[in-house]
Amino acid sequence: MTWLIGEFRKHEELADAIRDLRGSGFTAEDIEVFSEEPVELRKGVLDRPSKMSLTAVLTAMAFGTLATWFVYYAQNDYRLRSGGMPYFSFWSTGVITYESTMLGAILAIFGAFLWESRLFRRRHPHAPIPECPPNSICLRVHCAKINAEIGASTLREHGAVEVKQCD
Amino acid sequence: MEARAPETLSYGQIREDLFRPLSPFNARWIFTCLAAFVFVVLGLVAWGFQLHDGMGITGLKRPIFWGFYVIDFVFWIGISHAGTLISAILRLTDAQWRKPITRAAEAITVFALMIGGLFPIIHLGRAWLFYWLIPMPNDRLLWPNFRSPLVWDLTAILTYVTGSVIYLYLPLIPDVAQLARVNQTWRKKIYRLLSLGWTGSDTEWHALERAMKLMACVILAVAISVHTIVAWDFAMAISPMWHSTIFGPYFVVGAIFSGIAALMVVMSVIRRVMHLERYLTWRHFNNLALLLLLMSLLWLYFTASEHLTVWYGNEPGEMGVFGARVRGPYAPYFWAMVILNFVVPFILLGIRKLRTFTTATIASVCVLIGMWLERYLIVVATLGNPRLSSAHAVYAPTWIELAITAATFAAMVLLYMIFAKMFPIIAVWEFKPHPREDD
Repeated sequence: MTWLIGEFRKHEELADAIRDLRGSGFTAEDIEVFSEEPVELRKGVLDRPSKMSLTAVLTAMAFGTLATWFVYYAQNDYRLRSGGMPYFSFWSTGVITYESTMLGAILAIFGAFLWESRLFRRRHPHAPIPECPPNSICLRVHCAKINAEIGASTLREHGAVEVKQCD
Repeated sequence: MEARAPETLSYGQIREDLFRPLSPFNARWIFTCLAAFVFVVLGLVAWGFQLHDGMGITGLKRPIFWGFYVIDFVFWIGISHAGTLISAILRLTDAQWRKPITRAAEAITVFALMIGGLFPIIHLGRAWLFYWLIPMPNDRLLWPNFRSPLVWDLTAILTYVTGSVIYLYLPLIPDVAQLARVNQTWRKKIYRLLSLGWTGSDTEWHALERAMKLMACVILAVAISVHTIVAWDFAMAISPMWHSTIFGPYFVVGAIFSGIAALMVVMSVIRRVMHLERYLTWRHFNNLALLLLLMSLLWLYFTASEHLTVWYGNEPGEMGVFGARVRGPYAPYFWAMVILNFVVPFILLGIRKLRTFTTATIASVCVLIGMWLERYLIVVATLGNPRLSSAHAVYAPTWIELAITAATFAAMVLLYMIFAKMFPIIAVWEFKPHPREDD
């Protein structure tokens, strides 16, 4: 296996190169874009599916439920005189439930960010990281050595100012 | 000064401008930090005295058990709303002008919460029994009373601090990664650690942008709830002029109001001290000044609603507090509050010709003082005038409370100066409009 690194100046050219590579059989897993700022490509070019929202909602619900159950248990475990108020009421527990739900969402979002950004689980830990010059976007393609020439010519065809191969 | 719009500058130039203030510590920075540190130490000494001698050495006495500590607590939690409003609301509405001010605002939130969160512990007196608030059975096998607004505060502030720290940290990662690359001092290791190995790949950018959008939604809901809960600390008590249904929104409006004012003061200082005139422009000040003006009007509306209904109800207990506020011993504070929170901002910011960098900063300082007075009036006027007229009392803080209050302002300055020396106060990667394929 080898790595191709192409340097682009225009993101339209970059998008065309990605489309062509995908058409030639390269998967989204093989392709990565490096830049000093987020580059927004049209839907379908290089989508990165995410379950962050779902994770946040489910964790929030779990935290909220657990907190409510915990308060219920604690208030009944050692019953304090409550001046006629019920030992447990959703009115007074609502705040704890709400804040715990939000805490769950916050922690889930952070956890999902770490997971989805792959900061701690790199697909290829020893892959070369392109040194992107200012105002340029780098495209890194993971491919078999036999396909390297096809990949490199695709990158050049679409306006890559420089293409490097790193083994 | 170069006249080019900052959005048209290259990232290299932006980085150079924004990373420059992080370079070696100068004498002015060290002197200011030392001065702030001295005040913080004085505050800690005062707290030490209080822990040793007990709450009797403060001005708190029956029936005024809430004094400067609760006032400061509400004040700092209010200030913390700067980051939430500016960053979260403007991020969700995709307002481009927010970009140079979001980090400054988010940092205010974190530091104000750290400071504000200390006050319930200071106010406890026996601070070492703080763990009784933690949801576990204490030495007598008693669980915390979850019906108590004090436990609500703990839960809310814990959630808000966690969220705010993450909300500040996430957009810092790409900038810290850049710093790890260019910095050659002892800080390099810290930057490298904080950057988590960020490489700038599209997978990372996607995750970051998605996380920021979701965090903006969540943190907004949390921020509003936190100040509402702070308001409920008062509103749940059947005390005159506290037991009010509009206290929640009234406090939220006041918090956002003082948060914007704090942000404008901070921006004004960093603009001048760090020479960021090219980045923090009149456009930002003008937009914030208009927001401040809007909040001033909203604050007036809530204050008038609150007082009018009390006056019209003519309930003796409430009228006692009302009278003490508007024409009794607290009247000078009340009318000073109205002038500082409404009259001054209305004149300085409402009249276009008068609206300048200097007047916007003056109006913001006035609002901060006015909002502190508002909390003073809410806390002290009610407790000093309970329903039982024979129990009326006057509150006078001792040097302990004054020193601790001064220390919190110094702590804010100190924390902010250290932060601004360690990290770029403007998010570099967020600064320019990001390229889109269909641009």
